[in-house]
Amino acid sequence: MTDEKTHFGYEEVPVAEKQERVRAVFDSVAARYDLMNDLMSLGIHRLWKRRTVELAGVRRGQRVLDLAAGTGDLAERFARIVGPQGQVIMSDINGSMLRQGRERLVNAGIVGNLDFALANAEALPFASDTFDCVTIGFGLRNVTHKQLALNEMYRVLRPGGRALVLEFSHPTTKPLAKAYDAYSFSILPTLGRLVAGDAASYRYLAESIRMHPDQETLLGMMEQAGFERAGYENHTGGIVAIHRGYKL
Amino acid sequence: MSAASGLDTEGLGDRASAGIQLPDALLAAAEAVVNQVLALDPEGAARLAPVEGRVLLLELTGFGTRIYVVPGESRLFLFGAYDAEPDCIVRGSPVALLGMVLAEHREDAVFAGAVSIDGDNRPAQVLGEVLRGLDIDWEEQLSKLLGDTLAHQLMSRARAGERWAERSGDIAGQNVREYLQEEAAVLPSRAELADFLAEVDTLRDDVERLAARVQRLERGL
Repeated sequence: MTDEKTHFGYEEVPVAEKQERVRAVFDSVAARYDLMNDLMSLGIHRLWKRRTVELAGVRRGQRVLDLAAGTGDLAERFARIVGPQGQVIMSDINGSMLRQGRERLVNAGIVGNLDFALANAEALPFASDTFDCVTIGFGLRNVTHKQLALNEMYRVLRPGGRALVLEFSHPTTKPLAKAYDAYSFSILPTLGRLVAGDAASYRYLAESIRMHPDQETLLGMMEQAGFERAGYENHTGGIVAIHRGYKL
Repeated sequence: MSAASGLDTEGLGDRASAGIQLPDALLAAAEAVVNQVLALDPEGAARLAPVEGRVLLLELTGFGTRIYVVPGESRLFLFGAYDAEPDCIVRGSPVALLGMVLAEHREDAVFAGAVSIDGDNRPAQVLGEVLRGLDIDWEEQLSKLLGDTLAHQLMSRARAGERWAERSGDIAGQNVREYLQEEAAVLPSRAELADFLAEVDTLRDDVERLAARVQRLERGL
């Protein structure tokens, strides 16, 4: 084991430990994840996800990989659009989250064109040039080596395919940043304690958002991975950003 | 630019900047309503299967509003923008489009030029058929609230009432028409009207011929 350190929220932890600690966070929040998302974003996360689907522009018969799929909000929409000739693979590194997601989608009647993969985004178990679209929604910031994950997303895309990263980002104006900080560090952990019975995990979520690369840095990382025509758009004042790049 | 999602950069994709665009939140709400209605007739909604994942663009002329309709499994997705080449573009005024959905002969609107369809017209056709053909089993929906027996009784009454109203309406309409035409002679019958219109045509032609003759005489003087 090396001495290399990475951040876990505001803490410095050995690289080998981060994955384990992120897993613990999501094991703890899995059951109430959807409810917490609604509370945390006041329901706006639905619009952010809708916009991601619009930008993905997925159509009949395509193959889509949804990474860090969580409870499967994006995967569900894609599976309904690509039809029986298409395929959607819903992937997450966390077994509890993936189980929750699978249960929810099977109960919603999504079967046949939806598969599940317990996989690490840094080393995807898929052949190169496989997917028309790869998405990762609110997941990249929990990945230990983000650049590796972006490289992998690029590798598994077919030429002409597109990747979308929906992630919390950095507010573009000072007053909003202040209000947002107050919200994340006092209200959010309290909500977490009341609803999910776990303040620490939600504090980690807030901290990890602050440590995540800002819009321009992430854009640079996507270009580094090989993506072309890469760009991003801010939503809700930069609290969330959607990055998109193509493999050409 | 969508106020609802607070998009504050130039943005990605080709969000139409001209015209009146519907906010995402409104489209999401409309989508929910449409899908609730579709859910009331699962068999009808299942007929969307052949056009699942096709992209249909509705352009409301006069407003510049664009709505992307993407049929999914037994449901519709409505988007203000969708970053894929549409398979089919339907353009028309809101009134013309509504008229086409409701009309007996939908081709009429296209031939009259009120509605134009570009690309593969299958998605538009299937979508129109599904929407028109929805057969909602109100009794089943009502029985979820009131129980089978009560719902059945209510619906039987409602259907009997509907038939009575239809029949009575027909008869009343006939009676009124007959009275106005034959007894009061306020309205002409269809044959009288046709005769009158033919006479107007003849008179107009006669007047034109007379005018031509007068002109010729004037030149001869």
